[in-house]
Amino acid sequence: MSELFVVGISWRTAPVAVREKLAFRDEEVPGVLRGITGALPVAEALLISTCNRVEVYGVARPGQDATGPVRRFLAEARELKPAAVADVLYDRRGGEAVRHVFRVASSLDSLVLGEAQILGQLKAAYAAAGQAGTSGPVLGRCLERAFGVAKRVRSETSISRGAANVSSVAVELAARVFGDLAGKSVLVIGAGKMSTLAARHLYASGAQRIVVTNRSPEKAEALAAEIDGVARPWDDLEGLLVDADVVISSTGARAPILTKPLFKKVTKARRWRPIMVIDIAVPRDAEPAIADFDGLYLFDIDDLEKVVAANLAERAKAAEHAARIVEHETGQFDRWLRSQGVVPTIRALRERFAQVADAELQKTLEALARREHTPAQQREAIQRLVQLVVNKLLHPPTIALREAATPDEAALRAEVLCDLFGLEPVIGDAREAREAGGAREAGDAPVPPAAERKEGQDRGKEREAAT
Amino acid sequence: MTPGGGDRLLSVAPSPAFWVAVGLYAAATAALLLVLAGKARFRPAAVALVALAFAAHATDIGWRGTQHVHPAQSVREAMGLLAFILTGGYLLASVRYRLTLGGAVVMPVALVMLVAARLTPAGEAPEDLGALGRIHISLATVGVGVFALASALSAIYIAEERALKKKKFDAVAFKDRGAPLEPLDRLAHRLVWVGFPIFTAALVLGAIWVSRLGESLDRPEYPLAAVTWLTYAGLLVARQVYGWRGRRAARLTLAGFAVALAVLVIYLVRRMVG
Repeated sequence: MSELFVVGISWRTAPVAVREKLAFRDEEVPGVLRGITGALPVAEALLISTCNRVEVYGVARPGQDATGPVRRFLAEARELKPAAVADVLYDRRGGEAVRHVFRVASSLDSLVLGEAQILGQLKAAYAAAGQAGTSGPVLGRCLERAFGVAKRVRSETSISRGAANVSSVAVELAARVFGDLAGKSVLVIGAGKMSTLAARHLYASGAQRIVVTNRSPEKAEALAAEIDGVARPWDDLEGLLVDADVVISSTGARAPILTKPLFKKVTKARRWRPIMVIDIAVPRDAEPAIADFDGLYLFDIDDLEKVVAANLAERAKAAEHAARIVEHETGQFDRWLRSQGVVPTIRALRERFAQVADAELQKTLEALARREHTPAQQREAIQRLVQLVVNKLLHPPTIALREAATPDEAALRAEVLCDLFGLEPVIGDAREAREAGGAREAGDAPVPPAAERKEGQDRGKEREAAT
Repeated sequence: MTPGGGDRLLSVAPSPAFWVAVGLYAAATAALLLVLAGKARFRPAAVALVALAFAAHATDIGWRGTQHVHPAQSVREAMGLLAFILTGGYLLASVRYRLTLGGAVVMPVALVMLVAARLTPAGEAPEDLGALGRIHISLATVGVGVFALASALSAIYIAEERALKKKKFDAVAFKDRGAPLEPLDRLAHRLVWVGFPIFTAALVLGAIWVSRLGESLDRPEYPLAAVTWLTYAGLLVARQVYGWRGRRAARLTLAGFAVALAVLVIYLVRRMVG
């Protein structure tokens, strides 16, 4: 049976300094995939390379181990010695591999739990494998199911709910005050990296314009150019505050610049239109007392980080529920996968049974057609037909059971038969046979009583069938 | 639709639709509370239950109409209409905003009002109201209903605003992503604008009606109704001229409604005790 496997490296096992050595650019992926399926015992393969993970998902050729060769391949593709990355590379097989793929897709294996990016990256990797011609039925089914699991996890748990970084929290809080950010204006005071990020985030969420002000006009101009904003002079601060809806402040000022006297004038001029002040400067730019004004919502860096922490804790809690979903789905997929391995056997068994039944039925029909039969004779013919079919079908397993080479094997075969045909009491007999067999020579093992009974019947039927 | 006699009118038994509505209101309240408790998957069921309760309530009012019971023939009857307006208004508003908390407040209020309107003792049979009296009660009910909706939104506003100011981001007010503050304030303001002219007309017609009946104006509900009107008039002026909004406006909206509610209770108690 072909086996699913995963070989890879992620943020869990290695720092970025190591991960970047094994990373692949998008344009390299098709070549790598063809290399893996062409030169290694791998039937299907997919490669995902993001900033947090480089992983190969694949299906080994029947009966062959693929993880070792893939490990070597990855290292050599990056001109590294396999031993150098042996400790940071991990591999999973079978059900473990399926579970891993499902966990990755559901963002349970992500650095930030519940982040949405990984699903898109996985879809892109799957598409790339499809284009390279290296994805196949098993991998395809696994990935399609993984996307389904990810969707389930997203809708049934709160794993992706709540902002997970400071600038997203700023956007979320602004949405609580204003609802739609369309038409709102953002004022950035100072030029901190975080305020730039937050301003960009607000702009991307629909805010109409960004105004930048700084004590140094050059810096204001530079930042405004960088984030598509408008630079305004520092002296206009009061007027800018009157016009703004969201203020992000991160100056290096020693003393607060957003003071109570200033906001007394500002809020009055605004006629108490709501304004949100996000102060991410340390030391703080805003006096805490300005929060007392009606319609003014003040948040400092601690507030934002507390929200992030609470949201992440909430996600961690949701992850437990998500893990249960993944576990359930893994079990289902594993069962499906295993059933795929025995499909040919099932088909052969059905064909054989149908063959036997057909052959006997033909014979009986022919015999009946040859001359007139009374109803009693017809009934007898049908009974004989049924017995014949049963005997013929049971003949090979009966022989196999009787001719087992060792008592252990006999017991095992008896156990398997009982299991397959739902026979209960015989299991104990089989065990007795095995225990007894330990003290005897091979071949001397007593046939389990129940099996013997059954065989006796079978023999009788065989004799009957022979007549 | 001329009413026969007062006694017959008030003795109409609640319709089966009433009992269905009561059950649906209770179920809707339970579903909304479940959503607030974090079971978001009950949200579609909750909305459906509110809509069904509204439909059952409409059926009940319609059925009473066939029995010659006018929805505004008495304060007791008007309470049922008020609950109906509240539910309808809530349904409309929740098309645009997620108002789970609002629903969890409005639904039980509507339930209590409907039960009070149908199951409390009817008291003495009223005299024939005439067209003027009926229009007065209808308009007053609609006006107070609209104010009630504005007040529900204002109450949510105050709860959310307080939670946000105190940075209690996990407060009940924010469960199930409550409606944002600014749109809540705007919507409440618009509702007061809609309710005010209706309530004014009701007051004027009421005054004419009472003077025609020749009753004295020394009952406490008359000055209280005037206080309600003054409160909302003051609110509109403050919003329009002085730019009042947010918390202050929300408090004044609630204050006005509290007085209107007092008027309603006085009417009802008087009817019950005779």
